[in-house]
Amino acid sequence: MAKTGRLGRARHMCLAAAAAAFLGLSSATALAQTAGGDLVVVQSSNPPSLDAMVTSSQASRNITMNIYEPLFGFSEKIQPIPILAESVEISADGKSYRIPLRQGVKFHNGKEMTAEDVKASLDRYVKHGATQSMLKPVEKIEITGPNEVTLTLKEATPTFLEAFASPRAPAVIIPAEEASKGPNEIEFIGTGPYKFVEYVPDSHVKLARFEDYSANEAFEGIDGFGGKKTAYLDTVTFRVIPEPGAAVAALETGEVQLLEQLPVPTARRLASNENIEIYENMPWAFLTFIFNMKEAPGDNPKFREAVQVALNNEEVMAIATEGLFQLYHGWMYEGSTYDAGDVGKEYYNLADADRAKALLKEAGYNNEPFSILTDSTIPEHGKAAVVIGEQLKAVGINAVINQVDWPTALNIRLQDQGWNGWTLMMGIEPYLGPAALISTLTGEAPHFRANDEQLDALYKELIATDSVEGRKAVFAEIQKRLYAFFGVIKVGETGLMQAARADVKGFKPFRFPRVYDVWIEKE
Amino acid sequence: MIGFLARRLLSALPVLFVVSLVSFVIIAIVPGDVTAEIAGSDSTEAQRAEIRERLGLDRPMVEQAVRWYGRLLQGDLGQSYLLNKSVTEAVLERLPITLSLAAIALVLAVMLGVLLGILAAIKHDSWLDQGSMSIALFGLSIPDFWFALILISVFAVGLGWLPTGGYVPASESLIGWARSMTLPALALAITQMGVVARMTRSSMLEVMSQDYIRTARAKGMRRHTVIFKHALRNALVPIVTVVGVMTGVLLGGAVVIESVFSLPGVGRLIIGAIQRRDYPIIQGGLLITAATFVFVNILVDLAYGWLDPRVRDGR
Amino acid sequence: MAVEANADNAAILRQEIARARRRGWMLFGRRLARHRSFQVGFALFFVIVLLAVFADLIAPYDPNKNDYRSLLAPPSMAHWFGTDGFGRDIMSRVIHGTRVSLGIGISVVVMTGILGVFLGMLAGYVRWLDNVLMRIMDGLMAFPGVLLAIALAAALGPSTMNAVIALTITFTPRTARVVRSSVLVIRELPYVEAAMAVGAGHARIIFRYILANALSPLIVQLTFVFAVSILAEAILSFLGVGPPPPAPSLGNIIAEGRNYLQDASWIAFFPGIAIAAAVLGLNLMGDGLRDVTDPRLAAERGAG
Repeated sequence: MAKTGRLGRARHMCLAAAAAAFLGLSSATALAQTAGGDLVVVQSSNPPSLDAMVTSSQASRNITMNIYEPLFGFSEKIQPIPILAESVEISADGKSYRIPLRQGVKFHNGKEMTAEDVKASLDRYVKHGATQSMLKPVEKIEITGPNEVTLTLKEATPTFLEAFASPRAPAVIIPAEEASKGPNEIEFIGTGPYKFVEYVPDSHVKLARFEDYSANEAFEGIDGFGGKKTAYLDTVTFRVIPEPGAAVAALETGEVQLLEQLPVPTARRLASNENIEIYENMPWAFLTFIFNMKEAPGDNPKFREAVQVALNNEEVMAIATEGLFQLYHGWMYEGSTYDAGDVGKEYYNLADADRAKALLKEAGYNNEPFSILTDSTIPEHGKAAVVIGEQLKAVGINAVINQVDWPTALNIRLQDQGWNGWTLMMGIEPYLGPAALISTLTGEAPHFRANDEQLDALYKELIATDSVEGRKAVFAEIQKRLYAFFGVIKVGETGLMQAARADVKGFKPFRFPRVYDVWIEKE
Repeated sequence: MIGFLARRLLSALPVLFVVSLVSFVIIAIVPGDVTAEIAGSDSTEAQRAEIRERLGLDRPMVEQAVRWYGRLLQGDLGQSYLLNKSVTEAVLERLPITLSLAAIALVLAVMLGVLLGILAAIKHDSWLDQGSMSIALFGLSIPDFWFALILISVFAVGLGWLPTGGYVPASESLIGWARSMTLPALALAITQMGVVARMTRSSMLEVMSQDYIRTARAKGMRRHTVIFKHALRNALVPIVTVVGVMTGVLLGGAVVIESVFSLPGVGRLIIGAIQRRDYPIIQGGLLITAATFVFVNILVDLAYGWLDPRVRDGR
Repeated sequence: MAVEANADNAAILRQEIARARRRGWMLFGRRLARHRSFQVGFALFFVIVLLAVFADLIAPYDPNKNDYRSLLAPPSMAHWFGTDGFGRDIMSRVIHGTRVSLGIGISVVVMTGILGVFLGMLAGYVRWLDNVLMRIMDGLMAFPGVLLAIALAAALGPSTMNAVIALTITFTPRTARVVRSSVLVIRELPYVEAAMAVGAGHARIIFRYILANALSPLIVQLTFVFAVSILAEAILSFLGVGPPPPAPSLGNIIAEGRNYLQDASWIAFFPGIAIAAAVLGLNLMGDGLRDVTDPRLAAERGAG
């Protein structure tokens, strides 16, 4: 595999992609793929929408990323790569992005993708996209050729392409006539290797192989969200089974072939089952505890510090993740590009009750209720809240759990009152890098409600810095600041267990279950 | 008969009015907000405001109520926020699953219940009587969703005979459908089986102590003939009266059982809608389920009136 | 009971009635004590009540004590019922769970009793209100099973208080109906007519004559409301709209256990047994009460 150095920097994308095509000695042909069959993938919740750009829900992304494609997406190594774009050419002043499109790409309705479709889709994203801030730097979107669009930015934004490639609520390309429709009103037509067949909520979403799929020949295999994709399976069924037990039993009997997630104890038990392959993804997400800095007692930094030192992170993580976790204080994964080393380590996983009590005294804490908001939908959230609650009670904090369902929690945490702490797993943000992570803590609606001015300033500096080295230095400052005002606590890092029947071949775990380049081996 | 039907239908109107009012009021007291779910967790306030406006959620409650009734009278239950289809469509396409689950459970409950009841009655005061009644009482006392979990543990996880959940439409595979419905129906039937068994027993005992049965036996009719031709037939009449109530309990129970077994019925639709704040689905789902129940009760009354003319003429 | 209506005899009449009632209660009590299923039910329920009341003394561990070193431990000498995904002792949680369940059950019974009596009396006594009230009750009863309670509890938000409110609203209509129908019968009885004739006030008639006589069907009904509330609370908790965690409600424990049916089936098993025991006890007691107070009703056992 000639992945190394394929697309280190966005600017060299065009060149590198060509080089990759040259260097690519096929690795895929080593295994004999068999076409056909139906793959049943299980996930625990309904996709709230299959209109990919209007939702940032993972349950949607799992499916839509097999149906639609964006112009750019992330590679396996989290670098932006062209998917429907041919390449990108950035002007010297960093303000103009000329994007030639891949030619001959067909939509599921048989029509060929044109620059009109791309412009219409991006215009729709500006209006309805769930993470429309990613297109905020864009001043205008123009068609500059039959197969070319040009984005003009208001000012040079070095991190634009990374943001634009974000899969959170991907800026996918749909036919122009669909793009004129409102959110959730479109026909689900994309350019991906699988096309939409039917959606029966609470039951399943069915996809079928798109026979006219235009594979990206610039790559020799799949790479992250892009690459050369091949659909082997006739159909793919995403079945919704909320109860993990039922899902696991279905996998054991062979009724279904792939579990998007399964409980850790079950995974351990199944490890010895030769019909089942377990895929462990570690690390997968941060588990965090966020304060409401606008409401007492969490408005007091001393109080927040008391919580930070009181926490026994190991206990929280061990229970919340059922044992699949690692402890790390850093706000980027250990050893990753932006890892800031030991900054803040002295505050992590202390479980120091005496110090916490002293800090509470200093904070003038007077047994005010401390309401921990959490939800029952994501088990890690609810469990972490319960354990944190018990730990805080032990140091004399009057902690109460407010467990609601996920949409209610999302709504409550957007208000300045009615909650004090909130448990949240951040899956995609740390994966996308410092800017994506810190953007949730700054700006108009930071997770902790009140803005921390220093952090806001550091974030602006971060996205304006043009070099990786420069950004690393800024990020170290950010981590230092996070461990100075304690608006959010990083509890630990969780993993994700996935499982498939042993006859499912070619599956490579990623941020969503890629059902292309997967086949079912026949006996 | 027509007059009776008309009277029953007419008397259902105020009930349906209260049902629709309750369905509306429940939504009015719901905290939380559908917009965060539609727009995604990182949506901006402006985006959410736009969605609120589009869906009419920013209007005063009274106006929303007026709109709700206005549409209701035209038979329009509105559009689901999230499912991309009308509420009527969404509910009606799931109603057959819930109804068939409740119907199978009803048949199971009546069959098993009557069997236990007869056993208990003809072997009155024996160990069979006590055994049957203990089973019945146990059935009445255990939580059906818990029983469902036990069934899954034993028959699906342990023995692997039946699927742990999920639904196979009958159009796809009749056997698959039957397999997917067996455990849910059994779990749902257990409580009502207890009810039927106890009723059958006591009414059998009552009927069997009556003069004409004793006369029949005295005249030398065979015990079996007496029991099955005379006693049972009369003993079953009271059971018909509770079929309406039982249907209600089963429809309600189906809500929980559906979510245990991942069956895409109305119950799961409503519970999912509650979690997703899909107000129109909650309203419409509650309304249609209740209306179905009212309608079933009318049917039961009709059946009963047909069995017993005094009911339809008198009252 | 043949009584002559005479204003002068009012005092004697009252004494007579009081004596008759006392005799009635004693007879009732004696018959109840001899009733087999009542005995069994009472014993069973009494054990559950003891567990609930003395949970702190009986439970071997703190029901909310987490222990990440013994997650999902199977039943053993240290943990008779095993531990859950938090390492909490299931036995202690079940014992404390009976307290939560009985607490909710008794609250629902009291509130349903008060509301049911009030509405039932109103409907039975104030004729012009009857129709309106009963149509509203019919409307509430048209929601099958606990669907109304689930929707209400979800709408109000998960909490113990809201679960009680939701269940009270769900079970009040049936109770009100029972009270109303006994009021309708009782108000036609000769001695009540007599009391009316001697000019007793409404309050007096209601409390002294009607309520006192509607009491036995009400008690039977409330016994079953108690049983059904315990079951319904479990359903609400199971669906996540009951008392919030870490409250050890029996439904919560089952809901937790549902995720571990394959790997730790003991979690869901034991709380279910506890619910069944409590409900069985109440059902048996209810049967006994019904047999003793009104054998004719026995045919409809459990249907309420």
